[in-house]
Order: sequence, then C-alpha cells, then structure tokens
Amino acid sequence: MSARLTVTDPVLHRLAEEVGVEGPVAVEGSRTRWHIGGAADPQTRLVKAPTGIVEYVPDEMTVCVRAGTSVADLHAALAEQGQRTGLPERGGTVGGAIAVGENDVHVLGRGRVREAVLQIRYVADDAKLVTGGGPTVKNVTGFDLPRLMTGSLGTLGLFAEVILRTNPLPATTVWLESSDADPFAVLDTILRPSAVLWNGIITTVQIEGHGPAVAAETARLAAIGTWAEVAQAPELPAHRWSLVPSELGDPSRWNGATWVASIGVGTVWASIPQPATPTNPVVAALSRRVKQQFDPTGRLNPGRVPGAH
Amino acid sequence: MDLKLDADDLNTCVQCGLCLPHCPTFRVTGDETMSPRGRIQLMREVQDNDAPVTSEVVDAFATCVQCRGCEPACPSNVPFGHLMEQTRETLVDNGHMTPKWQQLALKPLAHPKLLKAGTAALAVANKSGLLPKRLGLPDELPVRQKPLVASGDDVWLFTGCVMDAWQREVHAATKRVLEAAGFGVQPTNDLAPCCGALQSHAGMGNDARNLAAKAISALADAPVLVNSAGCGAAMKDYGHMLGTDSAAAFSKRVFDISEFLAEHVDSLPAVEPLDLRVAVQDPCHLRHVQRVHTATRTVLEPFVRELVELDDDGLCCGAGGAYSVLQPELAGQIRDRKVGAIERATPDVVASANPGCSMHLAQAGVETVHPMTLVDRALNG
Amino acid sequence: MAGFLSSVRRRLNLNQPTAGDGDPVVEALRAALDPSRVRYDGAERTLLSHDASIFDGGVAGPVCYPLTTAEVQSVMRIAEKHTRNIVPRGAGTGLAGGAIPLGAPIVVAVTRMNNIIEVDVDNRIAWVEPGVVNLDLTRHLMPLGFHFAPDPSSQQVCTIGGNVANNSGGPHCLAYGVTNAHVLAIEVVLPSGEVAMLGGLDAEPAGLDLRGVFIGSEGTLGIATKVAVRITPNAPAVKTMLLSFDTVRNAAHTVSAIIAAGIVPAALEVMDQRITQAVETYVGAGYPTDAGAVLLAEVDGLAESIEIDANRIAEIGREQGAIEVRFAADETERALLWKGRKTAFGAVAQIAPDYYLHDTVVPRSRLADVLDEVSAIAERHDLIVMNVFHAGDGNLHPLLVFDKREPGVIERVHAAGDEILTASLNAGGVLSGEHGVGVEKQKFMDLFFTDDDLAHQNRLRQAFDPGCRTNPGKVIPSGHSCADIAALKRVPREVWA
Repeated sequence: MSARLTVTDPVLHRLAEEVGVEGPVAVEGSRTRWHIGGAADPQTRLVKAPTGIVEYVPDEMTVCVRAGTSVADLHAALAEQGQRTGLPERGGTVGGAIAVGENDVHVLGRGRVREAVLQIRYVADDAKLVTGGGPTVKNVTGFDLPRLMTGSLGTLGLFAEVILRTNPLPATTVWLESSDADPFAVLDTILRPSAVLWNGIITTVQIEGHGPAVAAETARLAAIGTWAEVAQAPELPAHRWSLVPSELGDPSRWNGATWVASIGVGTVWASIPQPATPTNPVVAALSRRVKQQFDPTGRLNPGRVPGAH
Repeated sequence: MDLKLDADDLNTCVQCGLCLPHCPTFRVTGDETMSPRGRIQLMREVQDNDAPVTSEVVDAFATCVQCRGCEPACPSNVPFGHLMEQTRETLVDNGHMTPKWQQLALKPLAHPKLLKAGTAALAVANKSGLLPKRLGLPDELPVRQKPLVASGDDVWLFTGCVMDAWQREVHAATKRVLEAAGFGVQPTNDLAPCCGALQSHAGMGNDARNLAAKAISALADAPVLVNSAGCGAAMKDYGHMLGTDSAAAFSKRVFDISEFLAEHVDSLPAVEPLDLRVAVQDPCHLRHVQRVHTATRTVLEPFVRELVELDDDGLCCGAGGAYSVLQPELAGQIRDRKVGAIERATPDVVASANPGCSMHLAQAGVETVHPMTLVDRALNG
Repeated sequence: MAGFLSSVRRRLNLNQPTAGDGDPVVEALRAALDPSRVRYDGAERTLLSHDASIFDGGVAGPVCYPLTTAEVQSVMRIAEKHTRNIVPRGAGTGLAGGAIPLGAPIVVAVTRMNNIIEVDVDNRIAWVEPGVVNLDLTRHLMPLGFHFAPDPSSQQVCTIGGNVANNSGGPHCLAYGVTNAHVLAIEVVLPSGEVAMLGGLDAEPAGLDLRGVFIGSEGTLGIATKVAVRITPNAPAVKTMLLSFDTVRNAAHTVSAIIAAGIVPAALEVMDQRITQAVETYVGAGYPTDAGAVLLAEVDGLAESIEIDANRIAEIGREQGAIEVRFAADETERALLWKGRKTAFGAVAQIAPDYYLHDTVVPRSRLADVLDEVSAIAERHDLIVMNVFHAGDGNLHPLLVFDKREPGVIERVHAAGDEILTASLNAGGVLSGEHGVGVEKQKFMDLFFTDDDLAHQNRLRQAFDPGCRTNPGKVIPSGHSCADIAALKRVPREVWA
C-alpha cells in the first residue's frame, strides 16, 4: 500500500515538472513582498503555483488550498461558512504569505502564520513532491517541516499546497481609538484584544467576540481613557520592525519616522527600515547547513536569504 | 534475591511517574534511583530478575524517607509503604542494611527507663555542647519530669517513647484540651512504651510486632488518641502488620488527636483566638498515611486569627523519624525546600503535630509548636 | 552516649562513584562534571534504560546530571571526542520510548537544571531551565496572574525540556495551542557542543524558524538548556461541565457538533465507562459510573462570553442525547474532576497491571466511527480497551489493558495496536497527536509519509547532527535514518547480566 501522503493531484505534479531539476527557479506570487530577503537572482526562472481550494470541510475547521490562491479569495470562501485563517489580509497569495511568514496586524486575536500551517506540500530541489506535517489539527508525526518552511522564502522548497487551520469569525468586531489612554495599560485592562496599536498619540484597539463580551470589554476600557469607535485599523507605514514588546516604550529608536507599534507583540510599522542586527554565527552556520541539505546546488530562489534585509 | 514482596502489589505500578514530584528525595536529587518508581523497579530487578544487591541498590532503599507522599499521588494505589518496609526487613534479615549498632540505637525506645536515663544523659551532654547540632535535639531536654496522671477513662492518650521523654509538655497540653472538651483522660505511660514505627521503618519487623502486641493487650476498650502523627499511622497499621482480627479492631480505635477533636470541636469553650498567623505543616504520616490532615485545620481554626497553607503540596520536611540522623545531607536539602515554602507563607508560627518534624525544622531555625499547644494556650492562656 | 550517637552521623555516600573507573568516557565526564553527578552503577543504568513506555532497546551508559549549559557542552564534546551517542532525558514520562537508550549511550538527565531563571511580566515570558516541572512553573506563575498553557496529563511531573522535545499538548491546547505556540526562544547545545539561541523574544525573529523545528524533534537535534516560554494570563472566569451519555458515540457526535458550531472551548475531553469507573474509584469526584461515556467540557475567558458558550454546549449536548448536564459547583469540584481526568492512565492498574496507550488523531467528524472500529478491534483480539481522549482535537487515546504474565497477550496487544493505527490513518488521521514517534511508531512512518518525505526529515536532522549521535535511531525509520538502528540495538546488555 502506498503512503497516505502520496501526492495524487496531477496539478501538483505539473508544477513539479515545471520546476524541473536544473537551473535557478522561484515561485512568483503577487509580488506584494517581493523585496524581502534581498534581491532575487535575475537569472531565476519564475513559476506560478497552482490555485484553488482543494478541500474545505467547515466542521473540521481545516482547509486544503493550493499555494497560488490569493488570501482574499480563500478568506472570501471561508467567510461564507463563518471562518477565516491567521494569514494576513493584505493582498498576496497563500504561498507568498507563508513563504514570508509575516503575521497579520490582528495577530493577538488570530494567531501567528506559523501556527496556522498544518501540512505543507512543496517541490524539492530535485523536483520531488514532499509533504511535511499532516492534515489534522494536532500532530507530532515526524519533524515539524511546516514550521521550517514558514518564513523560508521558498529557499528550501517551492510551495504547492497547504492545509491550514481555520478559526471561527467572531460574532462582533469593534475598533476603538483613544488619544488619552496609556497603550501599555490596555493588556492589563482587557483579556484578549485582537490588536493594540499605538502611533505615539493615538491608541487603537480591536476587540472581537460575543456581543455582550465585547460590550463589557469596551466598558472596562473606559477606566483608562476616552474611546471612540472607528471603522478600521490605522494606515500602516511600509517598513516592518521586529522588537521585543517591552522595547516599544522607547520610540526614540525610530525617531523622525511615522510609525505604528503593535503593543504586546513588538512589531513596529515605520517609514524607515529597521537597522540590521547582527546574526549569531552559530545560528547562521546552522541555517546554512539546513539550506545546504535541502538545496545542495542552491537553485531554489537564489539571492534570497531568510532574515536578510 | 526473594525480597518476599507480594507479586501483585509489586505489579500494580505501571511506571507512569506521577509519584516523582511527590517524592522528597527525587525532588532534591532528580535521580530516578531516588524515586518511588525507581525504587519499585529496583525491587522488581532484585526479586524477579535476581539483580545483585549492590551498595547503590541498598542506598536507593536506605535513602527513602518513608514519608509515603507517593501513595496518595498514585492512581494505581501501589502500597509503597508496605513494599518498602518489607524490602528493608528482608535486607536487614540478610545483613544487607541497618548495621547492628543502628538496631541497638533503637532498642531503648522500647524501654522507657532506659530512654529516660538516656535522655537525662543527653540533656546534660546537650547543654554542655557535646552533641552535634545536626541531631536536632531540643535545646532544653528535660532532665527529670513527673508522669502524667489519669483524669478518667473516656480516652487513652498515647504517650509513646521519644515524645513522652522529650516533649511531655505537649502531652500535658493535649490532656488539658481533651479535658476542656469534657473527656476523662488516661495516659498510657509505661503500659505501651512505644508504637514500634521506627523499628518497622528500619526493617526490624519482630521488634515492631512485639511492641504492637504489647500495646494491643494493654490498651483496652476506649479510643486510643495519638498526638504524634508517626505513632498514629503505625498504630492504625497494626491490623495489617499483625494480620489478626484483634489487631484490626484495635487499629479502628486509634485516632489522631485532631481527627478525634474535629468531631468534638463544638464541645470546646469559645474563647478569644490567639492573634497569630499560623502555617500548618502537615506531618507526612498524618497527611499521606492517615490522610486526616484537614482535621488539624478544623480544630485550630477557631483558636487562631489566621491559618495559612504552604504551597509545596504537602511535600515531606525530611525529618522521617531517624532519617534526619541517618541521611543528614539529603534531609537537609529536603528541609531547605520546606523552609522556603514556610518563608513564602510568612507565618507567625508553624504548627506541626509530629516531634520529628519539630526537631528537624528547629535545626533550620524554624520554631514549630504542636497544634494542641496552640489550642491549650488559647483556652488556658 | 555522646560518642555512641555521634557514630550515628556516619552516612551512606549516595553517589560514590563505584563503577566505571578506568573507562575513559566516564573518567572524562567525571573530570568535567562533579564526580557525584556522573553515575555508572548498575542500579542507575538499569533504571535509566526505561521511560514510562513499555519499550526497551539498550542500557544507559554513563548517566550525567549537568547543572549548567557549560556542563552540557562539556558532555557533548566528550561524546563527540569519544564518538559516543547521547540521549537527553527529563522526567522519563514519555510513552513512545523517546528517552530510552539504544545501545549504551551517555544519558544526559536535565532534572537538576530546574531553575526558573526569570519571569518577565512586561513581555509575558519566563526563562526557565529544561528540568523545571511543568506544573511547578504554573504554580510559580499563579500568584502573578499567569500560567503556562500546555498542560499534558503528566504535567505534575513532566519537564519543560520534555514538553519542548515532544511538542506536548494537553487538554487545554484545544483553545490555547500546543507547546510550539508557547515557546519563543530556546538555548540549545548542538551535537557539536556549540550553543545556539533559536528563535527570539521579538515579534518575528529573523531567519529560518529553527526554534519551530527543534520543538517536537524528540531530543534528536540537540539539548535545550534554557527555554523562553510564553506566560498566559489566567482567565477571569471558567465554567467546567460534565455531560453524560449512554454511548461513546453520542459523546463523540456532541464534540463534532460543538466544533461545527464555531465554539472553541478551552477543553473537550471524553472518557468511556470503564475508565470513568476506574477514575472515580481513585478520586471520588462524582463522575457518573453508570453512563456509557462522559464529556468534560470547559470554557474560559470573560464571564459574559463563557456564559453564552456554556449554554450552547449544554444545548448541543441535550440535542445529542445527553442524559445529564452538570456544572462544577466550585473550584474544588472542578479541581477534582480534572484530577480524575489527568490521572486516568495510572488508574487503569486497578483493572489490569499493564497498559498500552495509543495516541492517534483523526478528523473530528470521524471520531465516532473510528471509536466503533477500535472496540471491534479490541474485541477481535480478546482485549479490554478503554478510551480517554482529547476529543476536541480528535486526539484518540485507546488504552489496551492486560496482564503481561498471560501467555500470548503481548502479541495480541501489538496486533490490535497496529490495526488501531491503520484504522486511524484510513480515516484521514495521523500517527501521533502528542506522544511522538520515538521508537514506537517508526515502523509505521512509511504508511504515512513517502520515502521522499522521510528523506527530507532526515535532511533536517543531518543539518543539526551531522554525526548522527544525538538520540540516534529515533523518529525516522530504518532505511531513512542516519543511524543504523539494527546495529544500535545489537549492543549487548552488560549491566547486571
């Protein structure tokens, strides 16, 4: 009997054929985060990942989707059943979102991208189709390759299809903003905000859940400031900084920029890029060995290095 | 070697390991040989697989405090205490452990006159600073004391050996509390000189059984109240130890003093509670073996301002009868954990119903009082 | 008298090195660590040849108890120099044999690295050493208003290091996620002896998520020496409910219906009648012993929110034929119900002295069907099966109980186990939900993964451990593993032989 994870979908096999065994190659999604990880080698042949939802069983809270599908299309289909995923809603493909691994602005409420990926299928350097993880919501069968692939920029394998965990859409969502509240007091005041954003003056909070709970949390927030309901999250500047949450109390490090900080998370969106931080040489060497193992000839998305600015 | 362990009892352990955190020696060493699961496995290796009884195997058994904290933690109800006692008895009989001089050291316990003579000598030696501090003896050992006098025959108050010799004031307090609740008290004094617990733990089964038989024949009819947790646990086990109906009937008459008073707490006069924050340190043989430690709280609660629990889930203090003398290093490490828990609870005073615990904790500068002493103080000023 | 008693002060030297003198590896280890923390005697080596599983494969070589990262480095370097293998070990509660030695490797027990180094409430993390006991951490955090969310049934004894190695779950990971979601950074001693900090405390650490793959790698990629865990605020309100049913099937249908209704309870646990009876005997929590199955459901969060979810769960339960829906009256009752659930595996010894606990995951909609199949399989093999499982995740734990002294029973247990695994895979499930592969499920790995999939898992392993010396012979099956598993197992048992 063949292994349960044997790939039978001809669409995926066609992608594998297209990737082939020779020459530099990368997947092109919607290019929404094309600059990340350095410039692509101009010699690189670009292929497109296949599209479409393969299987969606709402009662299971999982969805199997091809990597080329746009996150917007996926979320539109899930919304019909009152669900969504942790992938960021800002344009781009499912595969691209996972390759980059950046979290949604509502990460506190929706979870991280890396936690949404249950199973991943990718085309390896030798055009083999490889599956990591498994289809169920809980699984420790073998090494956790979905974690390795998330954020790897397609340098270890080219993503073809994933199974994602879905979450129920909350009954109620509100955005509130305040210009007199201490943003750092929000997390001590309410239990599980989906987002707490601060631009130095205005604090914006997203609360989701059952109506009565959202109302109660809104009322609790009144203890730390005056709040008004707004339609949506503030505009986010282009550059993404990754900091430790407690570092957000000192905005002097991105002086002069316009910025929005995600309190309790540590992400800052700023108009200027984050200065490069030195990489630990042991970790860098280990990462190179991983790359060497998965792509000995260096043909997968050459030029790009996860974590490089 | 045949350890003479019951094969079914030994087989009950499924190695789940849930006992490990409740074992004081595993807690301080992190070493499987010093855990209940490991010790049971070693019993199996010796009994079933004929593994040699090396010094490490003997150590594994000798380092067990016999606090039996593993028993309530065990969902399979492995009778660990009995397995360990039987293992030690077989090893003693075969000359693998408890050297002769240690057995001799326990002999005076069964002979009140000898113990009193010894205590007097100790008291003098202690005052002269001749004894090592780690022995944990009270600073003021009584040189001479009057025996307690009976005030009726409603209940026996078991006075025992070490406790009677060294902490008779606790007996006096217990007696006054019982009398305040309306009971006539008959101290056992020389009628039943010793419960036999320490002998039993050391693997000296015959000595223990003789003492048990003596107590059973001497103490008829009335409830036998015990204010030392270790003695109470041992006497409640006479039924199992002797395997006779009369022993089993006797054991049913044995009560921890708080267990008994908890049923009669309404009979005690209402008084102004002592202005104290009291941490209750449960003796293992009260909590894990007799499992009546909640009674201590019921009895104390009306008589003190505040009761506070320790956050260590009832882990042993390391006293363990003679353990603190035989295994001072481990006993000290175990006690360090207990002292930490006591410090976190910030009590004015620690209540403990076992002389061993009191002496052991006193060594680390933690003053303990018997719950009966506190109740007596509240009642009688 | 004084002289007599002072002779009592003589004590047994607990850790006196009495064996291994002259063995260069043992000597080197004793020079690097305190000699009392390197043991080579028969008692120690025999005990550390086992974990909580029924598997054995070899015997512990020298057993080391390091206290610091530097000591772990020394052990790794000595192992490398002498080409000896290493097996890391926490509390030894694993059920897949992940911590048992194959051959005679150096066993590195991290139980004495048990300090909670720092609790950083501002960043909602705690730095802990790998030997910290899961429940000790939560107890430490409670007064601060936090806890560590992964709560495996063994949480009172298992270590954070073990949780990292197995990506441990537990009842409450249904809502909160497994260990991977609660570990931000890990200091790891690599098989080379180098120290690497994997992951980080910042929002999105740069580079490959090596933290993510280290978690769940079952000790094959190195030894964790410090872990930054996320600490989770305690929910202001909790409701625990006990629903009883005539059949396990009804309980399973209720679980799928709750999930399908878009409710994410904190926990959804099912126990069948046999296990409920065993548990009730031990804890006396008031579990109904006459019901065919009980569903323990818990919702936590805001009072306003859990009221709605709890009522909906009760409603769904009744629709699915619940004979009783009961809410825990207070924290004492709640604690007792959970104590029963979490000690369930140990309680089975009341029925038979041995058990084999399985761990598979199936799609939640298939729970009822697979459970029916499991009972049919047990019946065919004339075995008693009990079910206690994380129903909300579809994580089954069929428990085969037996007495190994009965001739031929082990073979029947294994045959039934194989069929249970196959049934789970056929239903679209996976081999393990939380216990891991260890040595237990290697031979089933190629029923699930293709050769190429397994080759890629081995690529990851080789990147971390090119010499294949850290817990070799685990997880990846023969033919794909860097280790020659058969050769590993051929090492004779010399201890006490």
